[in-house]
Amino acid sequence: MSVAEAEAREVRLDAPSGLWSEAWRRLRRNPGAIVGFVLVAAFVTVAIFAPLIATHGPREQNLSLLQGSCCPGPSGSHFFGVDALGRDLFSRVVYGARFSLLIGVVSVAVGLSVGLLIGAVAGYLGGWIDSILMRLMDIMLSIPGLLLAIGIVAALGPGLTQIMIAVGATQVPIFARLLRGSILATREADYVLAARAVGVKRRSILVSHILPNSLSPVIVQGTLALATAIIDVAGLGFLGLGPQDPSTPEWGTMLTDTTRYLQTAPFLALIPGAAIVVSVLGFNLIGDGLREALDPRFRGRA
Amino acid sequence: MLKFVVRRLLLLVPILLGLSILVFVWIRALPGGPAQALLGERATRESVEQIERQYGLNKPIHVQYWSYLSTTARGDLGTSITTRRPVTDELKQRFPATIELTLAAMLFSLAFGIPLGFAAAKRYGTSLDHASLVFSLLGVSIPVFFLAILLKYVFAVKLGLLPTVGRISALLDIEHPTNFYLLDALLAGDLNAFWDVFKHLLLPAVALGSIPLAIIARITRAAVLDVQNEDYVRTARAKGLSPRVVDERHIFRNALLPIVTIIGLQAGLLLSGAVLTETVFAFPGMGTWLVDAIRARNFPVLQGGILFVSLVFVLVNLLVDVLYAVINPRIRVS
Amino acid sequence: MDLKPRKFVLLIAASALAFVLVAGGCGGDKKKSSSGGNGGELVFGTTADPVVLDPALVSDGESLRAADQMFEGLVTLKPGTTEVVAGLAKSWEADAAGTAWTFQLQDGVTFHDGTPFNADAVCFNFDRWYNFKGPFQAESATYYWQAVFGGFSDGKEESLYKSCEATDDSTAVITITKASSSFLGALALTNFTIASPDALAKYDADEGSVDEETGFKPTGTYGTEHPTGTGPFKFESWTRGDRLVMVKNDDYWGDKAKLDRLIFRPISDNAARLQALQNGEIQGYDLVEPQDVATIEGDSDLQILDRPAFNVGYVTINQKVKPFDQIEVRQAVAAGLDREAVVSQFYAGRGEVAKEFMPPSLEGYSDNVEEYTYDPAKAKSLLQKAGVTIPLKVDFWYPTDISRPYMPDPKRNFEAFAASLNKSGFKVVPHSAPWSPDYVGRVDEGTAGALNLIGWTGDYGDPDNFIGVFFQRPSSQWGFTNDEISNTLDKAESETDAAKRTELYMEANQEIMRFLPGVPYVHTKPAIAFNSNVEGYKTSPVSLEPFSLVSIG
Repeated sequence: MSVAEAEAREVRLDAPSGLWSEAWRRLRRNPGAIVGFVLVAAFVTVAIFAPLIATHGPREQNLSLLQGSCCPGPSGSHFFGVDALGRDLFSRVVYGARFSLLIGVVSVAVGLSVGLLIGAVAGYLGGWIDSILMRLMDIMLSIPGLLLAIGIVAALGPGLTQIMIAVGATQVPIFARLLRGSILATREADYVLAARAVGVKRRSILVSHILPNSLSPVIVQGTLALATAIIDVAGLGFLGLGPQDPSTPEWGTMLTDTTRYLQTAPFLALIPGAAIVVSVLGFNLIGDGLREALDPRFRGRA
Repeated sequence: MLKFVVRRLLLLVPILLGLSILVFVWIRALPGGPAQALLGERATRESVEQIERQYGLNKPIHVQYWSYLSTTARGDLGTSITTRRPVTDELKQRFPATIELTLAAMLFSLAFGIPLGFAAAKRYGTSLDHASLVFSLLGVSIPVFFLAILLKYVFAVKLGLLPTVGRISALLDIEHPTNFYLLDALLAGDLNAFWDVFKHLLLPAVALGSIPLAIIARITRAAVLDVQNEDYVRTARAKGLSPRVVDERHIFRNALLPIVTIIGLQAGLLLSGAVLTETVFAFPGMGTWLVDAIRARNFPVLQGGILFVSLVFVLVNLLVDVLYAVINPRIRVS
Repeated sequence: MDLKPRKFVLLIAASALAFVLVAGGCGGDKKKSSSGGNGGELVFGTTADPVVLDPALVSDGESLRAADQMFEGLVTLKPGTTEVVAGLAKSWEADAAGTAWTFQLQDGVTFHDGTPFNADAVCFNFDRWYNFKGPFQAESATYYWQAVFGGFSDGKEESLYKSCEATDDSTAVITITKASSSFLGALALTNFTIASPDALAKYDADEGSVDEETGFKPTGTYGTEHPTGTGPFKFESWTRGDRLVMVKNDDYWGDKAKLDRLIFRPISDNAARLQALQNGEIQGYDLVEPQDVATIEGDSDLQILDRPAFNVGYVTINQKVKPFDQIEVRQAVAAGLDREAVVSQFYAGRGEVAKEFMPPSLEGYSDNVEEYTYDPAKAKSLLQKAGVTIPLKVDFWYPTDISRPYMPDPKRNFEAFAASLNKSGFKVVPHSAPWSPDYVGRVDEGTAGALNLIGWTGDYGDPDNFIGVFFQRPSSQWGFTNDEISNTLDKAESETDAAKRTELYMEANQEIMRFLPGVPYVHTKPAIAFNSNVEGYKTSPVSLEPFSLVSIG
């Protein structure tokens, strides 16, 4: 959905050999992608080493810090100030990286694997199976993404797993269409026709010839989908459909809590918001760089 | 052309049917179930059963689905549980609000996105190009509700320049024949009201339009880059046409194709974004309506509302495809 | 179209600038609206739309707030108190048996549609309520009738109401089936205000169909377009989600409203209501959140008014869930809740720690109840004494999408309590649900875990409206049967001697807090905010607040 969905049509690739090494070479020369890698590396590092970086426990309350019912701002002992329950905001943002990364990766993995399966089956088998699957995808796409996710969470109940499923589900049709499209394109490629002519089995043609060559748009899309997933999860959290345990330091949920304190403590909203923007920007930069690197149309230009 | 449109319209039928099944099944999968939702806070087992009888919820599922389908086809979407008003009446109020908002957002993003993308492509590789890239990447990286909160905080809370909530000031009174408030104000000839509505619309539209703006700028840039190296552009230049004519007749027209496509795709994005933007600005549109309905398990509103939104979404995409065919000479010929 | 890049950038910059300037230039007129000594308009920010403007059929606060301005009952409450005073009835008396009540009505009162108010109109209304059928008997529609009068004319359930007779134009005799100490007070409820019989009939107030396919549908327009009472304000128009407009009733029989127009504007978000007030879009709003109190107090253009504390926030303990049927475990919960910290840090000085289930201002409040303080070590030892494994896993529920005076931010209360319980030998498993209908339904059914957050605001000034509602009968919310408490409450309710009644309610409060069915933790003074030029708003413990007294200075 959203950005990724919007750009899905823009990505159209075929993958001649030697593409990968050349792509890597071009990627390294793209300053945007380098910045993206740095941001994402920082994000992942913070996520992994959260316990070492954080100065306080993310759920550790200290109600006595509150003044006039809310929250003192940044200080020497609390770099980002404290939240409405007297918890250290810096530590919560640091731990929040873990949750955002986890939720993002898992939901994209859900969307990707289901989407790819459907796309591969539809694209390779074709015929009425293709029609039915693609109409199903059309139906899913005909509900605006966020509403679909909200609907799924409403039916499954709140919780981390449910959110990952909901956000993943919105990405299924995008990946399915994408892979189907590129399989259809590759199916008629010379090397596939050649393999078929010498009697290679259908399944092994799919696995060893078609899939690898259809993957590059999927990789680009996957990176962009990570960015979208982080935003969508935050959106669900903002609407109050976040993790069941409210003390979970998830960025979107942290934002929901703090809009009601926007007048008294705007930093409570600004800091987690900035964290989301920075990490999403990182994935978008990498995705962008990858697209340019892998797209033959851009070859020789960058 | 006509054949194409008819074919696409026919394709809508299975999609809408599938959608109606999906929504119908989903409602029944909600925890608590519809009867509990109707009765609310002080329901007893007995009254739940009574309501189930009234709504036919105790009948076999296919009978329920059929009656749902036939009433819906007659244009009767039922009665809202929370307000006890016909869903279609509420739709008539809510839908124009969201359309007004999304159109304003779209206009904003087109008015700024296309020139920005065009300028960036013409100055490919310059600092302007880089700045526009950074800008558009930032644009797609900011969650729309966060941007909405920021705008509201700066322009409404801190500076007090613009209103924070709603569509029109409570003290203004105009008739609402269309429920498109800008249009209503014009029809009433009330410029004061028009200005007031405009001010209410500004921040939500800017917040909602920022992502499409970023995307449109990027797409425009890419499309112009693609087109300007095409043979026909080179030929045109070689013929000695003025740069302005080349820009207008050749580059811009052809770059329009991907832009039109992207506008269609934005429809879904805008509707998703509207849910969040409307929440931040307490804007009484489809978004807040449906989110409230989900929270209150207001299933007649959900059944009708989601179906309607999806119908519109599908129609917009159809329209875009038709438009695409109209602009694209290659499709037109075949 | 000239597509020179530099021009575009300039254009963008220029239009951005223009937008800021133009918007800024015209934004300067904030707060100028509605001035002038008498008359004027007041826009009030409500939390939601009314459900319907027929007070007989609603129980939500926003419908009642609107109905209060347009409708009047036989009796009413003196503004700012819970004292019953004359309304549409000048005087009243009960016969010796306490079952026949004779009401002398005000003379010269007309409804907003010009038809006269008289004894026939009174009886028409009572008979309308008594004869509700089918979907009108749903508790979501006629909760208060059922709470006060019991059943309907179909006799399925016993009813306190018997009949109403208009002996002459200005005398109505209402007969009830048995003496009741709370009948008269209950008549002050907005639900029992008198509507124009003509308008009720003309606009089909009771027309609705029960459709097999889509259920109950009101087909009349009375409750949405033509609510007609006798009050100081008349209905003008209602646009859902946008505004409800009422205008001054120039023919009002009593002191006329000072405002010309009164507009209710629904803004569900608390923070948005404050911003709208600061921006001058509204001149007042209800349910001020504690963290905004300092902001409002610090703004010389704004003022804040208090309501007396007439509520209680508490933690339910459901004894159906084992081992919470053991008193030691319940005592451990009480010792594990850091109520002092929550009340002092979250309520901005507007809350006091609750010792029992009703506010101190009510008759029957006892100072000598068992008290419990936060003591994690004691909680653990109590749990050990009860023989349960530590930590004891406990399902604890809280509501979302709601702000109540006694819990402005339920999630915040929950998180603080969960943390203090986790330190006291418990292991809290969090659960949440949207307030309506899921959460409240679960609490009532007893399916909201072992512990949940909930509370109560009084409808009228009687202890029965607090502890009577909670504990007189066994209920699935609490999951226990305690004859001692039930008996004391039964005796108190039927006691007609005021002093003895108070004594009995004090006794009940002591028994309750010894038995510890739940843990009350806060009474708050709900705050309401206005522009500083708004005068005359009288806050009431039960939120029955007439805007007719309000003027803009």
